Amino acid sequence: MIAGVALILGVVLGFVLEPTVPVGLQPYLPIAVVAALDAVFGGIRARLDGIFDDKQFVVSFVSNVLVAGLIVYLGDQLGVGGQLSTGVVVVLGVRIFGNVAGIRRHMFRA
Amino acid sequence: MTGAAPQKRAGARDSATDFLTVLFREPLDPGYARAARRQADAVPRPRWRVRSARGIRLLVLVLIGFLLMTAYQHAVAATPGTTKAHERLVSDVKARRAQTDELQQQADRLREDVVRARDEALADSDEARRLHDLAAAIGLAGVHGDGIVVRLADGPAQPDPVTGQAAASNPGRVLDRDLQDIANALWHGGAEAIAINGQRLTATSTIRAAGAVILVDFAPVTGPYQVSAIGPDDLDKTFGDSATARRFRSYVDVYRMQFSVRKQEGMTLPAAAEPQLRYARPPGASPEPSASAVLSPSGGTT
Repeated sequence: MIAGVALILGVVLGFVLEPTVPVGLQPYLPIAVVAALDAVFGGIRARLDGIFDDKQFVVSFVSNVLVAGLIVYLGDQLGVGGQLSTGVVVVLGVRIFGNVAGIRRHMFRA
Repeated sequence: MTGAAPQKRAGARDSATDFLTVLFREPLDPGYARAARRQADAVPRPRWRVRSARGIRLLVLVLIGFLLMTAYQHAVAATPGTTKAHERLVSDVKARRAQTDELQQQADRLREDVVRARDEALADSDEARRLHDLAAAIGLAGVHGDGIVVRLADGPAQPDPVTGQAAASNPGRVLDRDLQDIANALWHGGAEAIAINGQRLTATSTIRAAGAVILVDFAPVTGPYQVSAIGPDDLDKTFGDSATARRFRSYVDVYRMQFSVRKQEGMTLPAAAEPQLRYARPPGASPEPSASAVLSPSGGTT
């Protein structure tokens, strides 16, 4: 409940402040979003499983975003940024799918 | 510590199993399970640590929401750059076209005002009537009368004999030359006023092609083309017997172009757009434009 309020508060803040993304960070924005979604769905799943942990959630979010950004950055330097972004999106996407399936099982028992 | 042993074992199993298999079978971060196990085993953490952890979690959630909104706004602003430019151009074109139409209407209205004021000033004299007749003859006034309508349309695209698809060039297509020939044949037949798709021709009108489009006085006209002409009663016969009409009838047979001539009573042809006035200057004289310069009424096109 409070978590949802916090999330909406962040959305409202983003809407009100309208931050400009530095040009250098723009390529990492979509990857960061996917990584954040992975952390969020993982957290929801863990909460439904009854094993949610604050520290694990925070660490998984921060490390997800940082590692995903780092991989894409390295890929950019090596000239395979696009392919590595695809790889990151695939891995995180698979995890998101799996976690959403878990959430679905919890909510609909199906 | 009791939590260390299972943690180590779990790590060993993770590295031993195929990464993708684990990924698909257990999408949830194994850290959650590990943390839960640790928490169950260990003594409860002090309250301030629980509090601060919850605070950090909420902070991260705010951050995630902020990130989502930022990314959304960024995507909205950046992705359709070309689309936005295109849309802007389209709206620009539409606005300019509307503006042109409005200005044209304004010009037409003002011209009517001028004609009315002139008629009042000349007050029903012979000069006024003569002026009216001349204006009608050179296309600066609308005319009403009987005449003929020549209808002309593209022939169907002929299939390419090799590929069976429509050929790129269609010999049955109506060209600007065709409309020019018909207009000239109609003038020759004694037509007093001609309009192509409602666009009145004057002595200085142009019929040109720009790409695949035919422009009459720089305004595009599209097929089927209706060339309306007001003239003598036997105009249909005169035109029908002309070499031009014979040529188009042969086009109908060969290229399946559509060509028809019919009489039409009570046609109204609009006035042409105001022609650009060109001022004549005697050579070597002062460059001051003479006040009495008029459009040269150089008969009809032949």
